[in-house]
Amino acid sequence: MPDKLVHAESVTKVFRTRAGEVRAVDDVSLTVHRGETLGLVGESGSGKSTMARLMMGLQTPTSGRVEFDGQDLSKLPARELRLLRPRMQMVFQNPYGSLLPHFSAIGNVMEPLRLHERGDKESRRTKALELLDLVGINTGHAELYPRQFSGGQQQRIAIARALALEPDLLVCDEPTSSLDVSIQAQILELFTDLRDRLGLSFLFISHNLAVVERLADRVAVMNKGRVVEEGSTEDLFRAPQDDYTRQLLSAVLPIRQAPGL
Amino acid sequence: MSDEALLSVRGLRTTFRRDGAEPLTAVDGVSFDVRRGQALAIVGESGSGKSVTMRSVMGILPRTARITDGQAMFGGRDLLAIGDKELRKVRGRDIAMVFQSAMEAMNPTLTLERQLTEHLLWHGICNKAEARKRAVRALGDVGIPDPEKRIRTYPFQLSGGMRQRAMIAMAMVTEPALLIADEPTTAVDVTVQRQILDLLAELKNRGTGVIMITHDLGVARYFCDDAVVMYAGRVVERAPMDRLLDDPRHPYSVGLLGSGVEVGGRELPLRPIPGSPPDLSHRPDGCPFHPRCARAELPRCGTEQETLTIGPGRDAACWKVAVDA
Repeated sequence: MPDKLVHAESVTKVFRTRAGEVRAVDDVSLTVHRGETLGLVGESGSGKSTMARLMMGLQTPTSGRVEFDGQDLSKLPARELRLLRPRMQMVFQNPYGSLLPHFSAIGNVMEPLRLHERGDKESRRTKALELLDLVGINTGHAELYPRQFSGGQQQRIAIARALALEPDLLVCDEPTSSLDVSIQAQILELFTDLRDRLGLSFLFISHNLAVVERLADRVAVMNKGRVVEEGSTEDLFRAPQDDYTRQLLSAVLPIRQAPGL
Repeated sequence: MSDEALLSVRGLRTTFRRDGAEPLTAVDGVSFDVRRGQALAIVGESGSGKSVTMRSVMGILPRTARITDGQAMFGGRDLLAIGDKELRKVRGRDIAMVFQSAMEAMNPTLTLERQLTEHLLWHGICNKAEARKRAVRALGDVGIPDPEKRIRTYPFQLSGGMRQRAMIAMAMVTEPALLIADEPTTAVDVTVQRQILDLLAELKNRGTGVIMITHDLGVARYFCDDAVVMYAGRVVERAPMDRLLDDPRHPYSVGLLGSGVEVGGRELPLRPIPGSPPDLSHRPDGCPFHPRCARAELPRCGTEQETLTIGPGRDAACWKVAVDA
């Protein structure tokens, strides 16, 4: 059994709203092992994004605990949590919303390095250029601003930024959902390449089952705040056990006559 | 085909005015037919001109846009030539639209009753009592429980799926001959998606022609009979839906299919199209796809290509395309 990089142990998150209490995550245990890609699927409101924020330590669970590399995130003093932060990074659905619009592409990638006081300005620049090159951005365009790039290129820049601090874990929340199909395919290839080259672990959240099937080693299915099924990607897609998983899979509309042939 | 066409668009060209620059051509000579009781998919990526094409036909373009050429024949009249006043009589009565986001398409300050009866009353189709009756029936038809009660609610009081249904009810209530659906299921969950498509299919069965703008090829296959593929403002391929997906011919269509991931296709190689679609202000000469096309051959692909018939009911704008024997 590979060791656990991040592990949630029966976490529950309750939000208090005017309409009453909402149990967004309800007694969920999940583990991302080192070097593994865990796919998290579910429909809107299933609690998958809340789960991501809990596993990143961005929100504290109402009950239960989240451990990153053996350390309980809710018990860590802020200073130590800050030291752990660089090791987990996020990529969001809307790249333009996640980039700083008044910083150039390279400025965006250098910013986490500056905030965490890595190297001097010159070495940060060199590193940022390497990262932009790694994700497939023409380094001749490094000084352009986010709005001057296409959506797919913006997502590449956001990924370069997420990689700047050499994280162990990349949490991706619907990272290809706002992209066109041909661009989505390019970003999926980039993720596969990064995983193989850098040995990254991924928590990959998507409502798109096909995308998750392609990238994940294991998959967890969420519905109404609970994980209803979890298993290896192959088993889960080939022989889903839970009714809800079956319902999700049967709702998918095929493109080709006989996919897989 | 064209003698039974419900809507027949020929050579549509729409440009956008820009400050201090040449107008931008967003739609460049687009032609297609929609038949009664059939659905046409307009497939393409963002910026390909699919929405501008439909907005041109409906006369709901932003003020900076201008239709510079083409015609759109509907019921013996050219929608592009009849003027706004006449077009208003067609819009909402004979042609209805369904949008991606009901939250944005519906008026948040009006009850469903006001919004569902608006077209019936404005077009003078019936009186208020009758309009209300029809609106309640339409809500019931789209599967909204307790329509008598729900008709008094506001859009925000409905779930996303229910709101999408209410918008479809709004489009159906006048029994339009043509329905234009712009990404109608993109914002709903997969388990709701098929219910929405099945609702639209009922309309189709009653004889309504549907144009569905979509980037989701699975949705297109499930719902549509024919397809046109758009790229950089042009139609690059036109084919019966199944033929397009099982045997795409234009290199861009091939690329689009090669980029699409689907469940069960884990072992299939992903073949993304390199690069990104052209900036419309720097449109390449000739075939707009040729700079990204692996099969492009210069100088020929840099020159204008007539649309080529490649098989029954299908054609493509490509010099290199394979033609049925």
